[in-house]
Amino acid sequence: MMESYISATDGDAKLQCELQEAKQVIKELKEKLNHYEQNENMQLCESTKEPENSSLLEVTQLTNRDIRRYSRQLILPEIGVRGQLALSNTSVLLVGAGGLGCPAAIYLAAAGIGHIGVVDFDHVELDNLHRQILHTEQRIGKSKSGSIATSIHNLNFSVKCQPYHLQLNKDNALPLIKQYDIILDCTDNVATRYLLNDACVLANKPLVSASALRFEGQLTVYNYDGGPCYRCLFPKPPPPETVTNCSDGGVLGVVPGIMGSLQALEAIKMAAGLTVSYAQKLLLFDALFGGFRSIKLRPKKKDCAVCGETPSVTKLIDYEEFCGAGPSDKCLSLHILPPEDRITVKELAKLLEETPLPILVDVRSPVEFEICHLENSINIPLAEIEKPDDTSFTEKVKQVSISRGLMDRDISVVVLCRRGNDSQKAIECLKTRMSSEIPVTLKDVIGGLSAWSLQVDPDFPQY
Amino acid sequence: MQRQSLVEVRVLYFAKSRDLAGTAEEIIKVPDRVTSQLLLEIITDRHIELKTIQQNLILAVNQDYISEESGEIQLSTGDEIAVIPPLSGG
Repeated sequence: MMESYISATDGDAKLQCELQEAKQVIKELKEKLNHYEQNENMQLCESTKEPENSSLLEVTQLTNRDIRRYSRQLILPEIGVRGQLALSNTSVLLVGAGGLGCPAAIYLAAAGIGHIGVVDFDHVELDNLHRQILHTEQRIGKSKSGSIATSIHNLNFSVKCQPYHLQLNKDNALPLIKQYDIILDCTDNVATRYLLNDACVLANKPLVSASALRFEGQLTVYNYDGGPCYRCLFPKPPPPETVTNCSDGGVLGVVPGIMGSLQALEAIKMAAGLTVSYAQKLLLFDALFGGFRSIKLRPKKKDCAVCGETPSVTKLIDYEEFCGAGPSDKCLSLHILPPEDRITVKELAKLLEETPLPILVDVRSPVEFEICHLENSINIPLAEIEKPDDTSFTEKVKQVSISRGLMDRDISVVVLCRRGNDSQKAIECLKTRMSSEIPVTLKDVIGGLSAWSLQVDPDFPQY
Repeated sequence: MQRQSLVEVRVLYFAKSRDLAGTAEEIIKVPDRVTSQLLLEIITDRHIELKTIQQNLILAVNQDYISEESGEIQLSTGDEIAVIPPLSGG
């Protein structure tokens, strides 16, 4: 019977086809197993040396699995097979595994960038999680670079990801950067930004740079296609005391999320051979007023210290010295007042058991005071005290001392803040102003409320 | 020589300059022909607090970067001047 004869041939072809597919599945599963085993043994690199057998073979064709996985971007005429293969054959180094690094890393991995390196020296902390969206509660205390590598492997096992648990410095930056095609600046401090800029100029690598604070973000592609480098725009680092970090200034998590995603977008376009949008342009994002502004920048500066015609910076320098601040966004401890004007949190605890109680003045901002404060403390923000004609401090202290019946004694005022820096500034400012109208002894608290929480009352919140 | 006249421009402050100036934007009167240095002087004279970061700012007129290399710039009423310090957080 004709019909069954045809069916038998069809059946044979169908089986052959299924066998081929099964073989492909087995091949992919073997590859996946191999990758998982590598992941299990994945070592955090603590040096810039690539692990052995790390060389990547050039990808020359897409597998069926690739076609399926990337189909939605593959059918874009701007990407196509050529663009997808280019992504597979591109390596990207992310410096910083935080609020910018997390979204950038995961979009690069999702798009099929072949090789991603992640540099960070920090460990995951609870107060990272509102913005550093790849890290999880289970990974608190673990290395951030390792955490991102794990997330990348879970999303796309075909991406090779190398975490580097190290602090980028003038000795390791160049050897590391030279191994990658595109560099992403996802860092959180001025010193590392200059280091990375200079290293990218010296190694001739494009630098996709972004930053975020509060409700604002900035993005530029430096050192690319005749455009400027970071030093062309900002030849001098800002005075350290004028630099606000995320811990003091705050940041809404989605803002670095948007900026990091834009970094991934620029890197993907560059890798796929498309025209990047922010070379020689600075994107300003204002999340509060809801605006994107694009500033057309200058070309490379002829007399730039590093990328100019006769550069004075021809090798990496000491960036901590250059910037007057170290490669971290952690807060510095100021030493303005002499030791005799300061007390420890333990001494404060004792004072609070005595009578009369000292007057406790908390100089943090009202929003911080609302988060937590010590009982009976009054809030006079440093910003108020620093106003030249401010009388709020004297008035409030007078008021409290009258209500507590302290007027004819020497009044003890203890000034405190979050970390013991602003309290010193407040006293420094008050010293010049406090007249003899009320006899006041001013002391500030070393380490502020943060030290109080660590050394006196573990139930007092930290933020 | 032509006489200089004053024009009203809108100044936008970004990042740290917004804190220091105490405002996100304002309208000010400036000469219609200025260099970037003069413009910076005028702005930082208005907000003395900006002097601490005067050397770390970039200026843009109508979303175009300007510097001393731009020479004298012609300004018109309604022009937008952006004051931009670098952000370093991430």
